[in-house]
Order: sequence, then C-alpha cells, then structure tokens
Amino acid sequence: MSERLEARQLRKVYRDPGGEVVALADFSYTFPAGAVTAIMGPSGSGKTTLLNLLAGLDTPSAGAVRLGDATVSTLSERERAELRLRRFGFVFQSYNLIAVQNALQNVAFPMGLAGVGSAQRKQKALELLGRFGLETRASHLPHKLSGGERQRVSVARALANDPDVLFADEPTGNLDSKSGRVVVAALRQAATEGRTVILVTHDLRLVDEVDRVLELADGLLQRERVPATVSS
Amino acid sequence: MIWSLALQSLRLRPLRTFLTALGIAVAVGSTVIFLSLGEGLRQVFAQEIGGIGPDIQVSYGPFDTTALTAVPALPLRFARELAADGARYGVVRVTPIMLYARGGFSPGSSFLFQGLPPTVDVKDIYFDYEVVQGRGLGQGDAAARVAVVGEQVAERNSVGVGDTLRLNPENSLEIVGVARSGGGLVDNAVLVPLGSLQRAIGIRDRVSFLALDLAEPARAAEVAETLSEAFPKLGFQTQEQVLRVLERGVRVSDVVRLGISAIALIVGAIAVANTVLMSVFERTREFGVIRAVGAKPRFLFGLVLSESVLLSLVGAAFGVVIGRLGIVAVNRIAQDLIGLPVAALTLRLGLFAVAIAFLMGVLSGLLPAARAARIPIAVAMSRE
Ligand SMILES: Nc1ncnc2c1ncn2[C@@H]1O[C@H](COP(=O)(O)OP(=O)(O)OP(=O)(O)O)[C@@H](O)[C@H]1O
Ligand SMILES: [Mg+2]
Repeated sequence: MSERLEARQLRKVYRDPGGEVVALADFSYTFPAGAVTAIMGPSGSGKTTLLNLLAGLDTPSAGAVRLGDATVSTLSERERAELRLRRFGFVFQSYNLIAVQNALQNVAFPMGLAGVGSAQRKQKALELLGRFGLETRASHLPHKLSGGERQRVSVARALANDPDVLFADEPTGNLDSKSGRVVVAALRQAATEGRTVILVTHDLRLVDEVDRVLELADGLLQRERVPATVSS
Repeated sequence: MIWSLALQSLRLRPLRTFLTALGIAVAVGSTVIFLSLGEGLRQVFAQEIGGIGPDIQVSYGPFDTTALTAVPALPLRFARELAADGARYGVVRVTPIMLYARGGFSPGSSFLFQGLPPTVDVKDIYFDYEVVQGRGLGQGDAAARVAVVGEQVAERNSVGVGDTLRLNPENSLEIVGVARSGGGLVDNAVLVPLGSLQRAIGIRDRVSFLALDLAEPARAAEVAETLSEAFPKLGFQTQEQVLRVLERGVRVSDVVRLGISAIALIVGAIAVANTVLMSVFERTREFGVIRAVGAKPRFLFGLVLSESVLLSLVGAAFGVVIGRLGIVAVNRIAQDLIGLPVAALTLRLGLFAVAIAFLMGVLSGLLPAARAARIPIAVAMSRE
C-alpha cells in the first residue's frame, strides 16, 4: 500500500570544537511497510541520529533517504516540513505535546496545519482519542495527564494525518512496563494498517513485540534480526 | 490557529504577561497623556475661534503665534482707514483689540488683559460669553478704570466685584463683573475698556489686532486677498488661517512631546522583546515538536510575532485607560492654574496609541520570531 522508505549509504558527521564525531556511517536499509522495525543499540550508538535523518528532521553528511520516488534528504526545508506533515508521524520520548493545548487540540494540531476544517478536525481527534481510551481526557492539558496517557495522546496525534511512516524515539523510555505495552500495542496496530513503523528503543523487553531489529553500535549497522516469537 | 495558540501561550504565564503588559501600558499611557495636551488646546482654539471670532483678523505684518504676546504695534490709523473704506470691501465693522500680558513666574500670577472698545458686544467675539456676577463693560466705561475678570482669574486670586486689580504699579482697575465663555478663553482673561488700557500702558495710537466683520462672511478669503493688496503693511487672516497658524504651533510642540514619549516607548519595546525572546528560549523543545509534526519555519515566525503583537495590544488597551485617568488629573490641575482643559483624549489619539503599540509589537517581535524560525529541529529535540 504505502511507498517504501529507503536509506542509501547514510552518513552523519558532527563537527565539534573537540573534533569530528562520526555518529552514523554507511547505513543502507529498506524498511518494510506493514511492519514494526526496531532500532536498538547502546547509548551513543547513533539511533537518534539515524531516526532524525530518516524522518527529514536533519540532513545527512552523505547518502540519501528516499520515500518512493522522492529523495527526502535533498528536499528544501519547506518541502520536508510538508512531507513530515502529510506522510510522517512522530512520537518522542517525552515533552511531546504542546504544553498550552489540551489533548484534543494537540491531536487536532497537525490537521490544522494541513488545512482540515475545524469541525472535521475535532471529530477525527475525538475518534483517535477514543481509540486509545482517552475520550474522557480530551480537555486535559498535558501536565494533568499521566506519562502513559501523554504518550498515547502523542500516538493519536502522530496518526492524525494518516501517515505512511510512523517514527518513535524511545516512546516507552519514561513509562512503566504496563503503560509501555499499551503504547507499543498502538504502534503495532498502526503497522497492521499497512504503515511503516520505525521504533528506536533500548528496552530489550520490546524485542519480542517487533517484526525486525536493527542493531547499531558506534554508528554502524551490526546486524538485522527477525525475532522468532513474533506471531502476526 | 496561530492567534489562539499565541493567546494560550500568554495565558500560561499570567504574571509575566501581566508585568510586561503593564510596562507597555505605562509607556503608552504616558504617550497618550503627553500627546493629549495638544489635542486639548486644539479643541479650545477650534471652539473659541472657529465658533465665533472675527471674520477676518488683521495683524501688523504677517501673523504668527508670537503676535499674541508681543507689544501692540498696529497703528490705529489703519482702523480708521479701513472703517472709512469699509463699504468698498464689504467690511461692516472694524474692532480694535489690544492684548497686554502681565507675566509672572507661575501661570497663576499671569494675566492677559484685553482692551476692547466699549461699543463692542463681547458676545460677538467669544462663544457663549456670559456675565456671571456684576455687570459687563458698557458705553459709559470708555475711559473708566474698570475691568471684567474671567471666572478663573477671580477664583485664583480670590477677587470679586468691588475689588481692585493692579495692572502695573501706577494703575489699578476696579472689578465690576465676572464672566466666562464656552471654550474657557475668557475665564482666563481680564477685559478692560480699550481707552483705559491704552492710557495705563502708555500706548495710545497702537493696538494688537483689528477684528473685521464682513457683510458676507462666506467671502472672507476673497476679501482678505483684496485687502492684502490694498494694505501691504498689514496681514489679513481668515478664521481658517488663524487656526492653521495656531495648529502649526501645537504641532511643533507635538513633535517635542512625542520625542519625549519615544523614550518610554523604546523602553517598553525592549521589555516586550526581552519577554518574548525569553519565552522562545524556554520553548525551544516545544518549537522543535511543532516543526517536527510538519509546521514550516514561517509558522513559528508568525506565532512568535503574534504573541508579541498581542502582548503589546493588551498593554496598549490598559495604556489608554491609564492615559484617560492621567488626562483627568492633568485637566484638574490645568483648570486650577490657567482655567483651560488643555488635555483631551480624542478618537484619533486613541487610534494613534493603538497603532504605535502595534508597531512596537511587530518591531520587538521580529528578532525573537526570526530566532524561533531558525531553530534546527534536531538540536531543539535534544533539549529537555
Ligand atoms: N548535535 C550533536 N553534536 C555533536 N555530537 C552529537 C550531536 N548529536 C549527537 N552527537 C553524538 O553522536 C553520537 C550518536 O548520538 P545519538 O544521539 O544518535 O545516540 P543514541 O543512540 O540516540 O543515544 P541514546 O541511546 O543515548 O539516545 C554520540 O556520540 C553523540 O555524542
Ligand atoms: Mg537517542
């Protein structure tokens, strides 16, 4: 259904006063649609760097990211914003939500940017909140929600514009295991709808919940695993 | 969407928003008070001079605002010549007027004496002129040492009918009446028979101005032009021209007062810029999220600029209220000192204040807005 996200020879070098840091080198991979791919590895191995490049939040020092026919990494700032708006969804580790807006407004926000009318925006946002058991929390500001609820609102927002690719960077990092499982279940469900889901985590318990695992170390892709226990 | 988000952000930090808005309110309020001074004078002039006044005012040489307090210089023979030839130009009456200012350090001890021929009906000169105590000047007063004082003059100096008023060391006048006028100009003057004033100050054959009444007031401009050719030494001004000269004087002082207010406005603008910049830094991560989910740099630029403008406009609204209160206070003081409501909050002044605040909001928002728009997303997202 959706177009494939593909990385070719991706490389990211940060220039620091102390010298150069090669955060990612020679990363090539084609992410399967309809599946959850986990990126794992120790701290500082380049997971966030990779995710940012794939999602068009940052530009590579070399190499390319492609979504179907479009080359994400050579688009202009505005074109990348447009691409993120219409085709990507995001969940980050924490402080994901706009602090001054309630749950409903947060979920409706990307639809507003995309020019969806306010009645339709509200209806879809309520529907998404309902899907994650948050209908009674619609008018709560983020600081009134629990960590797990906040992350579910983030997932609902990520799905607002019906994206092809869902990016999540440590979405369960600040959650207890029960809340974490709910969030991962939501991501899994998004994958079954045909979306490409890319999940950065170092929570080894999640290995059994995903379709693929990419292991990074020192900015290099070590290996790709297909966990045997996945049963979907 | 941008506006409601901007409003929500301002509401989230009510104390900071309030303090910054208060800073703007004080700046805008003081600007309103400063500029209101000119507006009040304009209203007085327009009412008094535009209300009635002479159809044509004659000065010796060109007319400017200094002529009001200068030594009387216009030879009286011109009054006789104009009266003799009046029919030719459509002039029905020539009234010589003498102004004599006796200064003092405080406005309270300054007097403006006005010498008028006893034949004149003061109601023709001042709008809504009214004698409130005693009597007005009459035919029999031609050479009498009598005076009608304005209400304010009487009140300030605690004098009334029957008291004497010192004109200069050699001359005193007996107060026979107290009067006032609609716009307040008479309230502050001392009306004296022309002959008595001339004698007292030792200037017999000169006056300050001549007032001409025309058969057809609508043709004043045309008549003034014809007269200028016939009497090249004199200046002839219609009501509009007099108002225009006064307006020019007020405008010069407007510029000076605006210059002073500019300091307050600049301080206010810096306060806004500082507040908005601070909130941009605090919200770096949030701005990263907003950009990540698909907002273009322009969106953040607009958001921050809107916050700045909104903050300034809220401040301006309070500023106009502060200005209004200040004007009431200024007028109470001015009324006591000089008997005129010098300050006024006109619609155009209110609009000007709002426009200034809008401009302030835009200018002080530009830098923080540009900052917000340029934040690299990946760096913003790495902040906690
Ligand atoms: N903006 C930056 N400037 C300089 N170096 C950076 C920058 N961002 C990341 N790095 C470096 O790049 C390397 C990879 O960082 P990255 O954040 O991608 O790791 P990570 O795998 O996400 O780690 P964690 O699990 O702790 O989140 C690290 O050595 C890090 O110090
Ligand atoms: Mg990371």
